[in-house]
Amino acid sequence: MKKETKRKLTIGAVLGAMGPGLLAALSGNDAGGIATYSSAGANYGYGMLWMLPVMTVLLIVTQETAARCGCVTGKGFASLIREKFGVRRSAIAMAALLVANIAVTISEFAGIASGLALFGVPATVSVPLAAILIWMLTMSGSFRRIEKILLVISSVFVAYVVAAFLAGPDWGAVGRATITPGIQADPSYISLVVATIGTTIAPWMIFLAQSNVVDKNADADDLVLQRIDAISGAVLADIVAWFIIVTTGTVLFPAGVHISDAADAAMALEPIAGQFSTVLFSAGLVAASFLAACVLPGVTSSAVCEAFGWERGADRSWGEAPIYRGIITAIIVVSTVLVILPGVNLFQILMGSQVINGVLLPVLLVFQVLIAQDGHIMGVNRNGRVWNILTWVTIVVITALTVVMFALQAMGY
Amino acid sequence: MNYFSELLGLPVIDSTGQKIGVVNDLGIATGEVFPHVTSLAFRGPGKTPFMISWRKYVDHVDDNKVVLNGPATDIRFSYLQPDEVLLARDIMNKQIVDTQGLKVVRVNDIKLSSSGENQLRLLGAEVGARGLLRAISPLLERVVARIARALGHPLSEDIIAWSYMDLLERSIKQIKLSVSHKTLGELHPADIADIIEKLDPRLRGQVFAQLDTAQAAEAISEFDDEDIRSEMLEGLSDTDASSMLALMDPDDAAEIIDELDYEKAEKLLRLMGVKEEKAIRTLLGYAEDTAGRIMTSEFVALPATATVADAVEAIRELDDDFESIYYVYTTDSSGALTGVLSLRALIVAENTQRLRDLAFKDVVWVAPDLDQEEVAEEMAKYDLAAIPVCDENQHILGIVTVDDAMDVMTEEHAEDLKIAGVGAGDNTTGESAHAITWFAQRQFWLIIWAAACACIAAVLGHLRPGELLFIYPMAFMPVSLLSAARMVSFVKNYFLEYVHPDDDTKPFLGFAVQNTLMGIALAAVVYLCAQLVSAFAFRDPASVAAQAFHWCALIAAAVTLMSFLTAVFYLKVLFWRDDHDLETSGTALSLTATTVAAVLFSVASTSALLALAGA
Repeated sequence: MKKETKRKLTIGAVLGAMGPGLLAALSGNDAGGIATYSSAGANYGYGMLWMLPVMTVLLIVTQETAARCGCVTGKGFASLIREKFGVRRSAIAMAALLVANIAVTISEFAGIASGLALFGVPATVSVPLAAILIWMLTMSGSFRRIEKILLVISSVFVAYVVAAFLAGPDWGAVGRATITPGIQADPSYISLVVATIGTTIAPWMIFLAQSNVVDKNADADDLVLQRIDAISGAVLADIVAWFIIVTTGTVLFPAGVHISDAADAAMALEPIAGQFSTVLFSAGLVAASFLAACVLPGVTSSAVCEAFGWERGADRSWGEAPIYRGIITAIIVVSTVLVILPGVNLFQILMGSQVINGVLLPVLLVFQVLIAQDGHIMGVNRNGRVWNILTWVTIVVITALTVVMFALQAMGY
Repeated sequence: MNYFSELLGLPVIDSTGQKIGVVNDLGIATGEVFPHVTSLAFRGPGKTPFMISWRKYVDHVDDNKVVLNGPATDIRFSYLQPDEVLLARDIMNKQIVDTQGLKVVRVNDIKLSSSGENQLRLLGAEVGARGLLRAISPLLERVVARIARALGHPLSEDIIAWSYMDLLERSIKQIKLSVSHKTLGELHPADIADIIEKLDPRLRGQVFAQLDTAQAAEAISEFDDEDIRSEMLEGLSDTDASSMLALMDPDDAAEIIDELDYEKAEKLLRLMGVKEEKAIRTLLGYAEDTAGRIMTSEFVALPATATVADAVEAIRELDDDFESIYYVYTTDSSGALTGVLSLRALIVAENTQRLRDLAFKDVVWVAPDLDQEEVAEEMAKYDLAAIPVCDENQHILGIVTVDDAMDVMTEEHAEDLKIAGVGAGDNTTGESAHAITWFAQRQFWLIIWAAACACIAAVLGHLRPGELLFIYPMAFMPVSLLSAARMVSFVKNYFLEYVHPDDDTKPFLGFAVQNTLMGIALAAVVYLCAQLVSAFAFRDPASVAAQAFHWCALIAAAVTLMSFLTAVFYLKVLFWRDDHDLETSGTALSLTATTVAAVLFSVASTSALLALAGA
C-alpha cells in the first residue's frame, strides 16, 4: 500500500510544512540567547556580527540533518541513539540531557522573572504563575494546539527588529562588520564566542527539530519541504539574533555600558533609546523565555521516555504515561523552586548549564553524524561528504573552543 | 549464562585456546516456541564480521568465554538463513508489541536459558527496569534490586515470551515469523486499534499496512481519534481504501466517509461495488446523529407466510461478514413490518410452522430521522439487541444494532461530562493529579479573584495612596465570582436534563424569567447579609469606611443579579453549539462567566470608591 500522489512544491505546500523547524530554531533564541547576544553587542559593538553567517551555516547543518533523520526513519533522535548505541551510551546521553535541560529551563524561568520584574511584578509571583500556566499548557491537549499558541507568542520576536530600527544604527558599518571576520585574542571574547555557539545550537534543539518532523509524519517524499522549513527557521532565528546584536551594539557599546543579563540590557536601553524600546525588549524576553520554557520540559521528557521505551505524548493521561508526565512536572517544579528560593546562586547554575551544554553538544553531534552517515539507517539519504565534513569541523571547533574556555576559566579569567 | 547482554563481547576461543574474536550477535531459528540459538556472529581481527553455525562449532559457553570444538582453521562460515532473526540487530533495543499485555515496549535485554551441553534457547525479551539497569551495569542492577527488596517492593523481571512478541519493523527486514507466533493480526480489532494509537505516526502506518484488508476494516472503525482514522485512510491507495470501506458495516463506512472531503469521498464511493455504494449513499442521505445514519441495511426480513425452515435457510445463506443476527422480521405482502421473532423462537419452533404464528406482533420501531440518543434510549427501555428503522409506510429501511447504540451512549456520555466540566479521560488519573485538575476546573475563581484584586489595588493605590480602599472590593468580590460560577453550573444542569420536545421550540422565555427571579432573590440575600454585618461593624454610617462597605455590597449584589440575567444567553450558546454539533467545554463557560463578573465588579467598585473618596 503506497501513497499515490507525490507532493508538489507549491507555495501552499511550503507554508503548510512551515512550523516544526521554525519553532525549533526560534525557541533557541531564549533567555540565555538574548543575554548572550545582548552582551556581545554591548561589549564588542558590531565586532561579533561576522559570527552570525557562520553560525547560520552550522545551525542549518544540524537542523537539516535532524529533519532528514526524522523524515527517513520516522523515529526521534533518542530512539535512534538507543537503537544504534545501546542502553549504556543512551543512558549517559539522556542523563546529561536531563541535567542540561533542567539548567536551561531554570534560565528560562529566570528570564521570565527578570523580564516581568521590569514591569514591576516580583519573581515570587511571576514565576509560580508562569510555571502553572506552562504546566497546564504542556499537560493538556495535542502538540498542534500547543504549537499554534507558541507560534503566535514567538511573533513577538518582531520586537527586536523594531528596537533595532528605533536605535538607528549606521547600516553601512553594520553591513561591513557582518561580512568581515575579526577575532580578538581576548579570553572573555573567546568565552563569549563559545556561549554564542552553545546558545545558537543548543542540544535540545536537535531533539526538538527531529521529534517535530516525526510528529508531523513527514517521510522521504517531504524532504524538500522539511529542508526549506529547517533552513528558513535557522535563517530567521539568526536574523533575530543579528538584530539584537545590532541594537545593543548601536546603543550600549558607544556609551560603554556593560551588562550581565538580558534585563540589564533592557534597562540600559531606556535612557538612550526611549521607554518604548525597553518595553519591546522586555516583552520579547518574556515571550522568548516562555516559549522555550513551554517546549523544554516536554522535549526532555519525551526524549528520555523514547530512549527507554516508556509511553509518552501530550495526549496520554497520568495512568497511561506516568513517567512522561512525572518528568515534565518534576522539571517544572525543580526549576520554579530553584529560581524562587532565596540564597541560590542563579549565576552559578547558569554557568553550570553552559558547561554541561558545551560538553553535551559535541557528543550529541558525534552521535548525530554517525547515525546520519549510516547507510543501514539512512539509505540513499545518508550524509553527503560536504555535510560530514561540515559536521566534523563543527565538532572539532566546538570541542577546541570549549577546551580553551575551560582552560581560561581554570586559569582564572 | 542467562542474559544476552552478558554474552555480548565475550571472547570466542577455538579448541587450541586461541582467541579468534568477540561475540557480537546471535541468530535464532524463529520456528519454535522457545527458539534455539542457531548461529553465532563474532567480530574477528580487524573488525571483520564472521558468522558460524552454533550447533556445529560451539562446544560450550561459560561466564567468561565461548569455546569452539575445533581449531579456527577447520571452521566454515555460514550466512543468515531466511527464517533466522539476529538478536542484537533485530530485537535488542527495538520497539516490539507485547501481544499479551497489549503494550508497546522497548527490549532492554534478552533472557536465554541453556539446555543440555551446548544448547541455548531464547526465553523472552526483558522489557522492565531490571533489564535497563543490567544493561547499564550488572552491579547497578544487583544493588537496586537489593534496595528494592529491602524496601518491600522487589523488582520483578518483566519478560515477554517469544510467542507473544510482535516485531514492529519486520516489514522492512523481511523476516518471516513462525506460525506458532501470536502476532498483532490475531488480536481483537479493538486491541489492534489501541496499540496502533500508541505508536509513532510512521510505525502506525507500517503496522496498519501489515494488516489484511478485513482486519484493517475492523480496526479502522475502532479508532477513537478521528485524526488517526483519516491519517490511516490517507496512507492507503484509493483502491485499497475503497475495498476496505466496502468490507465494513455500511453504517461505520458511512461515518468515515462523512469525515472525508467531498472529492475523496466521491472517488472512494465510485470505486466500490454497486451494492455497497448504494447502501452507504442511502445512509449518507440521512442527517448526522440520527437513526438513519447509524442503522445497517444488513438484516433478515421474510414474508409472514414463510416457514421456520425458510427463515433458517435464509440465515444460512448469508455472507460471512454479515452483521450479527439477533432477530428475524416479518413483513406483509406490501412489505410493511408486521412482526419480529428472536433467534431462540426460531430454534425452538418446528420447521413447518409459519412465521406469522410465532412472531411477536407489537413491534417497536423508530423513524430514520430520530436522534441517535433517543434510539439508544428506546433500545434500553425495551431491552432490545436491535431495533428496526422504518419509513412512514412501515417499510424496514434498516436496523440499529446494540453495538452502535452503545457507541452512541458512550459518545453522548462523554459530551455531557465535558459540558459538566469533567474530562472523560480523567477517571483514570491518580488522586494527587486529580486534586490539581479539580482545582484547575472548579476553583480557578481564586486566581481570577487575586488577579482582579491586584489590578484594583494597583489603580486605587496609585490614585489614593495610603487609604487601603482596595480591602472592600477584595472582601466582596468572591460573592460575585461564585454566583457567576453557580449560574453556569445551573445552566449546564438545565441543558443536560432538558428533554427535547417534538416541535423543537426552546424554553428561553421561561428560563429567563426563572433566572431573573432567582437572581433578584440572591442579590437581596447578599445585600441584606452585608447590611447585617454593617450594622455591627460601623458606628457611624456616614463615615467613608461604612459608605465604601455599603457600595461594595450593593455592587456585589448587582453583579450577582446581572450574572443570572445573562444565564439565558449561556443556554442559547449551549443549544446553538449543540445544533451545530460543536463540543462545548463547561470549564470554558464558567471561566467566561467568572471573568465577566470579575471585570464588571472591579470596574464598578473602583469607580465607586474613587468617586466616594474624591467627594
